[in-house]
Amino acid sequence: MAEFGTLCLLLGLATAGWAVVASFNGWLGRSGSLVLSGERAVIATWGLVALAVGSLEYLIFTDRFDIEYVASYSNRALPSTYKVSALWAGQAGSILFWLFVLCSYAAIVVAMNRRRNRPLMPVVVTTLSVIAVFFLLLVNFMARPFVSLSQVPIDGLGMNPQLQNPFMAIHPPALYTGYVGLTIPFAFAIAALSTGQLSDTWFRTTRRFTILSWFVLATGILLGGWWAYVELGWGGYWAWDPVENASLIPWLTATAFLHSVMIEERKKMLRVWNMSLIIMTFLLSILGTFITRSGVISSVHSFTRSDIGPMFAGFLGVSVIISVGLLIYRLPLLQSEHRLDSFVSRESSFLFNNLLLVGAAFAVLWGTIFPIISEAVRGVKITVGPPFFNEIMVPITFGLLTLSAICPIIAWRRATPHKLLDKIRIPLGTGILAAAVLFAAGMRDVYALVAFSLCIFVVATTVMEFFWGTRARMKATGEPALGALWSLVDRNKRRYGGFIVHVGVMLIIVGITGSSAFKQEATAVLARGESFALGRFALRFEDVVSHDNPNLEFLGARLAVLDGGRRVATLEPGQNFYKAGQDPSSEIAIRSTLREDLYLIMSGFDPQAGKVTLKGYLNPLVAWIWIGGGVLILGSWFAMLPDLRDRRREAEARLRAAESYATS
Amino acid sequence: MAAGRFSIKIMVAVAALVAGFAILFGVGLKGSMVYYLTVGEFLDREGREDLGENFRVNGNVVEGSIGRTPGELGAVFLMTDGSRQLKVHFGKETPDTFVDGSEVVVEGAMRDDGKFEAHTLLAKCPSKYESSAQGQKALKNAVEKGAPRDATPAR
Repeated sequence: MAEFGTLCLLLGLATAGWAVVASFNGWLGRSGSLVLSGERAVIATWGLVALAVGSLEYLIFTDRFDIEYVASYSNRALPSTYKVSALWAGQAGSILFWLFVLCSYAAIVVAMNRRRNRPLMPVVVTTLSVIAVFFLLLVNFMARPFVSLSQVPIDGLGMNPQLQNPFMAIHPPALYTGYVGLTIPFAFAIAALSTGQLSDTWFRTTRRFTILSWFVLATGILLGGWWAYVELGWGGYWAWDPVENASLIPWLTATAFLHSVMIEERKKMLRVWNMSLIIMTFLLSILGTFITRSGVISSVHSFTRSDIGPMFAGFLGVSVIISVGLLIYRLPLLQSEHRLDSFVSRESSFLFNNLLLVGAAFAVLWGTIFPIISEAVRGVKITVGPPFFNEIMVPITFGLLTLSAICPIIAWRRATPHKLLDKIRIPLGTGILAAAVLFAAGMRDVYALVAFSLCIFVVATTVMEFFWGTRARMKATGEPALGALWSLVDRNKRRYGGFIVHVGVMLIIVGITGSSAFKQEATAVLARGESFALGRFALRFEDVVSHDNPNLEFLGARLAVLDGGRRVATLEPGQNFYKAGQDPSSEIAIRSTLREDLYLIMSGFDPQAGKVTLKGYLNPLVAWIWIGGGVLILGSWFAMLPDLRDRRREAEARLRAAESYATS
Repeated sequence: MAAGRFSIKIMVAVAALVAGFAILFGVGLKGSMVYYLTVGEFLDREGREDLGENFRVNGNVVEGSIGRTPGELGAVFLMTDGSRQLKVHFGKETPDTFVDGSEVVVEGAMRDDGKFEAHTLLAKCPSKYESSAQGQKALKNAVEKGAPRDATPAR
């Protein structure tokens, strides 16, 4: 099976290489048969890579510990769910999985565009295949998943216990699907630049890929935070670790791109900017992989130093040169057709939103690579800690919140102050009222007050948008309220789906604000029957508990959670001792409510004295981060559904295609 | 060329925004820059007051050096870069990955008694990941010893 997998990867390199050669020459020589051959090679590459992935999974499931990868990341007792995720537990496997996601996207793009976008497709296929060739080179020669061991261990080392968590099983595939999906709009952008067909086709045709990748990436980031929260046991979900930052940076630029293409679509403006944004996003996602996979920046959860770093750096360099070169070459063709003439207009608010998002991305990038830069420039490594990121991100977030509250109610082109005031009255009033109520309720934290009231301002604007739209429709068509609301959102799913996403993001920000501004913590060493206080709760240590299964043995403390003397819950934080011999890992106990999370860690147990060492956190509003994530996903799905307008446009396009076919 | 497409007002606003970023950057960086040194570099820093008080130091936990007081959080341990050692005190609960030999990054300042007082401790257990020396060793041990303890057959 290992030989078969190795063979598949070698053949895959050959077919992907052929896809590059055939498509590129087919494009240059206008040879339809070469282009077609290139597209078939893409499908073949996908099949071969899928077989390689299948072989590795087969080896993992059949406990073939003669394969180094299997022996390093799996063992007999590993539950089957985690045998699936063992595929991406290590370096070689995760690069193979990345490649598989890329090839799947490429195959879908080829299948969807057999009749559409024919002038662009050869370059799209070339671009995607070049990237595939790079990753195939890695799995064939640098990070090889099918290497066998000279001596065969009886059992494998097993998976890092911290990775044995459902969130960790989904988090990497979600990140990869998001990251890699952004190469699709990038490939179409490169195709548009190469062919000079710079109309809006390249981003219109990839709109769904962009939205899909964007929200899957967001989901991946949130799941990563959730995993860190429930598994790592430090009471938080985000630490500005380089690896986390690496996923956030391209997400920020992708967010900017999602917004600014709307301006290009409507106004044919910001064209160079949009090209730059998508190129930047792609390069940053490769940089992110480089950071995560090469160990160039020390991080708590990065893989250790390895030799694929220079390969990534080289690939990144070549990508920068080619894409920036193409962009400069096509600058004359990318002139805007309109000019941005009013300071107070929808267009300019999008422009500022973009500047803030890109500024945020740049700030996070700068903070992340600062150690490398300072070492290169001054010979000393200087790190910047979370305070830097927080200081920069808080004002930027406030700016973004203000914009997302005002932007939807500002008119296109030029807004009149009178109309704007008329529309902004209610939402702004709601926001100010909220601030007053919170202040009266005793909230004195300025940042939290500003953040909460801005979020409420945004939500109020959003609600009013739905309300005004529905009312206008009811007047115009005489539909009943619910019917009018439905036909309103049905007609413009992207707009209203986008609003739902905004609400989701607001919930996330509310959760982040609450849990960072009002966090409480306490530590205690307790004997049986003793208790300690955490916020309004009292926690009483009742007994020691233990149980075991074939994979691990659990030792923990049972605590009664008392709220004003009344028992509201029982929590059992403890530690897992793995039988495969890894170090023990803390098992956190959380009581999560909409109001707050009670988060307990047992950091030690002294059997002689019968005392446990406990650390507790009270994190207000954390649950809203995950709920907001759910709302964000729903909104994005809704925005991806076809619109009435889209259906009409597609029907027209089909008609036009049929006509041109008939006349040619 | 650009002035043709954007009005002066917008250009000014953009410039103001960029300037705001620059200020934010400068202030943020100044407040949170910390030198990242190895144990040796840290011990050699004597007399270099320009580097500040707060440091991040990277090294490995000396085998068998972790000392804990029952009933108290944290630990006292020795950190090494392979040749020299630094005594560190950390007063909070230690992460699971903090064990003999693990790679740690501590952040804090030197105390007068010659101990490094860390307020943050990050630990990475090298045996978790492949291609590290420790990972290879673990794999080799598994080969030599046969099955690790308590291995149970596949279901």
